[in-house]
Amino acid sequence: MNTSPVASALALKSRRQFANTWRILREQSRFKVWFVTFFAILCETGLLLLFLDAFKFLDTMGGVGIMIIDRLFALFFFGTGLMLVTSGIVTSYATIYRSDEIPFMITRPFDISEIVSYKFLESTWLSSWAFSFIIIPFIGAYAWHENTTVLLAFWTFLFSIPFLVICSGLGTIVTMLFVRWFPGVRFMKVCGVILLVALGAAAYGLSREAYNFSTEFQMNLSRLIPGLNLASCALLPSWCVSEGIMAMSHHEWFRGLMLWGVVLSTAMMIHVTIQWIGELTFYEGWQRIIGSGGFQRRAPLLFPQLDRGLAVLPGDIRALIMKDIRTFLRDPMQWSQVLIFFGLLGLYFVNLRSFHYQTLPDNWRNTIAFLNVFSVSAVMCSLSSRFVYPQLSLEGQGFWIIGLSPVTMKRVLLTKFMLALCGMLVISVGLMLLSCGMLKAAPITMIMAVLVACAMSFAVSGLSTGLGTIFIDLSQRNPVAIVSGFGGTLNLVLSLAFMLGAILPFSLVFHFHTVHRFSHSQLLHGLLISGTWLLVITAAATIIPLWLGLRYLARKEF
Amino acid sequence: MIEVQNLCRNYGAVKAVQDLTLCVPGGELFCFLGPNGAGKTTTLKILTGLLKPTSGSAKINGIDIQDEPVRAKKLIGYIPDMPFMYERLTTSEFFEFMGLLYNVPGDKISRSLDELFSLFGLLEQRATLVKELSHGMKQRLIYACTFLHDPEILFIDEPLIGLDPYTIRLIKDLLVSKARAGMTIFLTTHILALAEDIADRIGIIHKGRLAALGSLKELLDQNPGTKTLEDIFLRLTKE
Repeated sequence: MNTSPVASALALKSRRQFANTWRILREQSRFKVWFVTFFAILCETGLLLLFLDAFKFLDTMGGVGIMIIDRLFALFFFGTGLMLVTSGIVTSYATIYRSDEIPFMITRPFDISEIVSYKFLESTWLSSWAFSFIIIPFIGAYAWHENTTVLLAFWTFLFSIPFLVICSGLGTIVTMLFVRWFPGVRFMKVCGVILLVALGAAAYGLSREAYNFSTEFQMNLSRLIPGLNLASCALLPSWCVSEGIMAMSHHEWFRGLMLWGVVLSTAMMIHVTIQWIGELTFYEGWQRIIGSGGFQRRAPLLFPQLDRGLAVLPGDIRALIMKDIRTFLRDPMQWSQVLIFFGLLGLYFVNLRSFHYQTLPDNWRNTIAFLNVFSVSAVMCSLSSRFVYPQLSLEGQGFWIIGLSPVTMKRVLLTKFMLALCGMLVISVGLMLLSCGMLKAAPITMIMAVLVACAMSFAVSGLSTGLGTIFIDLSQRNPVAIVSGFGGTLNLVLSLAFMLGAILPFSLVFHFHTVHRFSHSQLLHGLLISGTWLLVITAAATIIPLWLGLRYLARKEF
Repeated sequence: MIEVQNLCRNYGAVKAVQDLTLCVPGGELFCFLGPNGAGKTTTLKILTGLLKPTSGSAKINGIDIQDEPVRAKKLIGYIPDMPFMYERLTTSEFFEFMGLLYNVPGDKISRSLDELFSLFGLLEQRATLVKELSHGMKQRLIYACTFLHDPEILFIDEPLIGLDPYTIRLIKDLLVSKARAGMTIFLTTHILALAEDIADRIGIIHKGRLAALGSLKELLDQNPGTKTLEDIFLRLTKE
């Protein structure tokens, strides 16, 4: 079959879509565009300075630091590679199997391999933005620190393209095989089991790795940075990429080109494999997914029990809550991301053990405890931005049902807020207690951390529900697209700003006390002022967005 | 020509289509009727390759849609009731894209763009993004795009949804003239008057089985005591 018409048509479509999106962007509010651009640049600059600081810190360690910097490249690509594979699994499922474009393509004279190939490339493009966002400041900081030429960026770009294809391709292959043999809900169950097994294996591997050494130096290095040995395995594409970039930047052209050839040929092989597996499994798998919608869904035991548990609530509120829970649990796109989210969080907790917190000096213990509070709070911010913010927009075309029902918008909004708050409280307090417990933090630090967790839950739930209402987009069905808009970005920025405003006063008070600049009475005084400040900003961050959201909803016509 | 042999499609325990055998000869305008959930859309989706039959076969001009999907799809045009279109393309870009997909030569695409856009009243919307069109305008656009590659067989799911009376008249006349020119048209609808007006033959499906097949006159003869298609439909699909 002659494939050129299809390929050129798709290329034309992609070009035109890109041009039109760019045009729409230019026609949008300048403030909106500038705000998003400014925030993106701010984030990139922040990351660049952070990486630069890390390189400088490693420099202060002398020889070991220099060795770590050399190996950090391998670890960086190994880590981002794992992230890309995981992201590839989720993105390819949504892009290849759940896209509205598939029925359209199936009814046109496309070859199955062309459809799979095209959607795979689209999935790679979609899953690569986070990688690009991280790699730019990392390479920039490295180039700055090492005084290398601008060509380093070019070599990185050259190696990154096939690397992206390999990682996303591996994720796509996993998805295609599992969709073919474990469609629908079973797919997610199997993914959950695989994720748990992978986490267990990673935790076991990291704990074992420190003892798998040949020299004392290697042992110390492995203890300092878990995963370094694994990342240095020469069979991994991430190793070839990091070694190749290094070789090119050191003008070792032959070695660099050879490694690039290895990465490129692996990417091409993965692409051919995807086409081959696609030919064999795609249609069958897709049939199973669209066919599964017609099955009588077995009612999970959870729902009736939950319904009974909520019996104390008025009927309309119970109906709204149960609808949201059911919709969420029946949407693999939504809860597969929760699964990945908590999987990555699991890795964070596994790594918490390697801090040997109790053996560190007081000021380090204080710093680590507050970094942990910051980390868990940042998790709350992203969790609420991703899952709470789009919840009203996801009512979508069905919003008129709620609009016509005898339930006031105030009641709807407060129900959404309370549901989000309950979820956030359970998760944030649980995470904070678990991480503080693992660090064996002091009781006063633990109390402060739980207090911050509660305040964060109220504030991010209020912000996300309120802003999600003000920037409601009922025409968009993709939660990721809702979140990545102006309102979503604003929500994330304000949540992070709240986080800083809430934690910084406490951290400064504790820091001054640790370095003996504050007496015990000054510590108590400082904590009282910080607590009052926290109470005030939490009330403001919770009530104001909800009030504004409610006002907006009352005025809006649907 | 469309040939359907012992077609079955199950969704778990639900039998959506059962042992359907049907032949629509070339140049015929065939209306497929049935109550909600009778199996019309499932049949249409199998014929267009969107769904795989549990058993049986469907052939498009002698080509099995499951065995040689690409060859078969080159011959068909499909207009769904809620068409998916690339929202961020303009109408003319989408038209060009569809032409390229079917390997339509560039000069024919440009010629047909004026011709079909003028026919469907889309000339003023040439530079409008698809997402900005109303449902009716989107339907007009999908019609224009579908006729671009001159399909030999046309499948339409609910052809008149969201269209204004002017466009309804236009579509009806166009479908009849295309059928007279040799195009095979297979459409499903709930509007019985449409079937009475334009169908050469009518098939009624109920609970996945073909309950009746023939021209309007033949159906009236087969069902004594009935005067209209509505009478026949209600009698055959009565629970």
